[in-house]
Amino acid sequence: MSIKINRQHIYMLSLSVVLLTFVLIFSFLVLIPNGKEYRLKRVEIKKEYRKLRQLSDFSSETSTILQNLQKEHRHIITAFDTPFSVARFEKQHRGYFSSLKLSKLEKKENEDNFNVYEVNTTSEISSPKSFYKFLEAVNSSDWIVGINFPINFKRDAEMIGSSFTMKVYSNNKDKPSDSNTTK
Amino acid sequence: MRYSYIKPRRKTALSKDMQLLFTFFSVTLFMLFLTYGFLVFRDYRFDQNHAEILQEEKNLRVGIEDMKVKIAMIENQNILSERVFTKNSVLKDSIHNLFDLVPSRITLSQAKIMENGLILYGVTPNKDIYNFMLQAPLRSIFHRTYSSFYPLDNGWFRFVSTNYIDEEANDEY
Repeated sequence: MSIKINRQHIYMLSLSVVLLTFVLIFSFLVLIPNGKEYRLKRVEIKKEYRKLRQLSDFSSETSTILQNLQKEHRHIITAFDTPFSVARFEKQHRGYFSSLKLSKLEKKENEDNFNVYEVNTTSEISSPKSFYKFLEAVNSSDWIVGINFPINFKRDAEMIGSSFTMKVYSNNKDKPSDSNTTK
Repeated sequence: MRYSYIKPRRKTALSKDMQLLFTFFSVTLFMLFLTYGFLVFRDYRFDQNHAEILQEEKNLRVGIEDMKVKIAMIENQNILSERVFTKNSVLKDSIHNLFDLVPSRITLSQAKIMENGLILYGVTPNKDIYNFMLQAPLRSIFHRTYSSFYPLDNGWFRFVSTNYIDEEANDEY
C-alpha cells in the first residue's frame, strides 16, 4: 500500500517544520532567558529604587538637622566666619573702658581644628563693674573671644589698669583681617 | 475544440492552505519579535534607570557626606564656643568673688589672677585684720597660701599674698 502525498503538501509540511523549529529555538534560546533576565532586573531595579528612596529620605532628614542647627547656632557660625578686626573690636568695647588698646594679632597653634589668634590687651577701668560688663559683652560679640589667664589689675590713682590676653577663634579657612590691627 | 466540460482551475503558488500557514506563522513570528523587542527595550530602559539611580545615589551620598561634615563642624563650633563662653563667665565670677572677698579696710594695689593661683599686693592697717578678714577666706579656697608683710612709715603694712591651687588636687574633682 503506498501513500500518495501531493508535492505541494510536502513543501508545506517542510516549511511548517522549519518555521516551527525556528519558533521553538527562538523561544527557548532567546525569549525565555531574556524573559527571566527581565524579571530579575525588574526585582533588582525595584530594590534599587527602594534603596534610593531610603537614601533620599535620610538626605532630607540630614538636611533638616543641618538647617535646624544652622538656624539655632546662627550667631556662633557667623562669629567663627567673621574675620577678627582689632579696630572694630575696640570700637565696640571701648565703652566699658577708659582706654582700650589691642596689640597685633598673633597666630597660635591650632586648637580643635580652629585657628587661634592671640591679642594682648591693655585697658583702664574706673571700677570692676565695667570689667564684668565687658566679659558679658564679649560672649555676645561678633567673634568667639576667650579671655585668658593671667589677668593683671593694678591700681593707678583712681583708675585700675588691666592687662590680659584674649584668644580669638576662627574657622581654618579664614584669615583675620590684619589691615585694621593697631600696632 | 474542448476536451473537458469543467473550467480549468487556476494554479497559484499561494494556495489556501499556504495562506493559512503563512498567516499563522506571520502572526506567531510577529508576536515573538514583538515580545523580543519589548524585552530588549525594557532591558535598555533598566540599564538606563540603573545608571540614573547610581548617579543619583552618588550625588546623594556626596551631599550627605557634605552635610555631615557641616553638622560636625557646627557641633565642634558649638562645643568650643560653649567652652569659651563658660570660661569667660567663670572668669567673671572669679574676679567678682575676688573683689568681694577683699574687706573694705584692706586696700589692694595690684592683683594677678592666674589659672591656678592668685597674687595680691596691698596695704592693711594691721596683720590681724589681714589674717582674719582676708587670709582666712583665701585659705579656704587655695591649697597653699603664703603672706609677706613689709611695715610702712604710718604703721600700716604692705603685704604680698601668694595663693595656689595644687594641680593634682584640682584634677581629683
